[in-house]
Amino acid sequence: MSTIPHDDTMPEGDDFVAAEYVLGVLPDPERREVARRIESDAAFARLVSNWQRHLDPLDDEFQPVTAPQYLKSEVDQRLFGIDSGRAGTGVSFWNSLAFWRIVAFAALALVVVNFGREFIQRQAGQAPSQLVASMASDTGPVRSVAIFDDKSRKLKITLVAGELPQDKSLELWLIAGKDAPVSLGVLKSPKVTEFNVPAATAAKLRDGTTLAISVEPVGGSPSGAPTGAVVAAGSVSSI
Amino acid sequence: MTPEGISELISRVTLRDRAAFDILYTSTSAKLFGVCLRILGNRSEAEDALQDIYVKIWNKADRFAVADTSPISWLVAIARNHSIDVLRARKPAAAELEKAVGIAEPSPNPEQSAIASGETRRINDCLNQLDTERASAVRGAYLNGESYELLAIRHRVPLNTMRTWLRRSLMKLKECLEG
Repeated sequence: MSTIPHDDTMPEGDDFVAAEYVLGVLPDPERREVARRIESDAAFARLVSNWQRHLDPLDDEFQPVTAPQYLKSEVDQRLFGIDSGRAGTGVSFWNSLAFWRIVAFAALALVVVNFGREFIQRQAGQAPSQLVASMASDTGPVRSVAIFDDKSRKLKITLVAGELPQDKSLELWLIAGKDAPVSLGVLKSPKVTEFNVPAATAAKLRDGTTLAISVEPVGGSPSGAPTGAVVAAGSVSSI
Repeated sequence: MTPEGISELISRVTLRDRAAFDILYTSTSAKLFGVCLRILGNRSEAEDALQDIYVKIWNKADRFAVADTSPISWLVAIARNHSIDVLRARKPAAAELEKAVGIAEPSPNPEQSAIASGETRRINDCLNQLDTERASAVRGAYLNGESYELLAIRHRVPLNTMRTWLRRSLMKLKECLEG
């Protein structure tokens, strides 16, 4: 690969296409095609990120220019505004919520397999108050399912896919509305970790609350707020 | 804002933390607006692009988790890629080509920043090992979003020759950077 061909021969290969994409020199149709390939071809995507890393230092030369503050209001309007009907990107946001609902629903089947027996045995009394959340990300390997029993205030979580990292911890967070994330604890086992949820936190666990897993230093975030990358997230639904 | 601070903000944005998104905008929008302005070369397009970019950042924040890069580089890459997409989609492309004559050729030497990091020095050293004209093509593409078409006109060579040149320059650049 490092042999330089004769002077007027064009060197060929994916690595050059990746470099051309990162540089940005390709014409529109070809550029779109390469962008699609990045989404579907992991090996090619790695070539692209490798080139991006090589060229990143040139970013220093982009001189900052203060952006008008009203642009942020426009962004907020598009993402969160009531007038979201006109915003194309607003639609994709809602699509992604719908996506999460479908994922959470599909996860019920897994929940039955993983936890079902125990709960079926308890079903003698009145209707149980249980919540389930399926957590995943578009890009990472981690998928997880959590189930919360309101009566015992016990939350159980299992990794459906992905592994516990060796030298890091995975920490579970609850995010209710605009409140700051609240830690529920660190995952102890890829099979089942059980957390006792304090009453005040349990009160926030309801339909639509988000659960998320972040990568933290061993033992959990030192600051009480998530510090590392979020590897999976999903919203809570009652069953 | 430190890279760790920006990483934390991006993670919190993944968790749909709007306060974190506000701070992220305040602390990074000038850099990203600088990228849009330089590549698109006009203010109203750059403003539209910047909005699209922050919408993307909100929607794609979870991808940072698996990106093997610094947070500011990740954000700049989103801004650069979006701006170049807009530039390439312009119709007619003739407007862009007019720039070929109008815009000053980028200097083969970097605009000296007060504190050039070791990595910045390294890529500039490697670019300096290329022919001046070729280094300038690489820099013009990355920093100004210049296309093969425009570079070919500027350097008065056929498109395929330009492509051959650039690919060979990239090969040398990579050998230098990884060597």
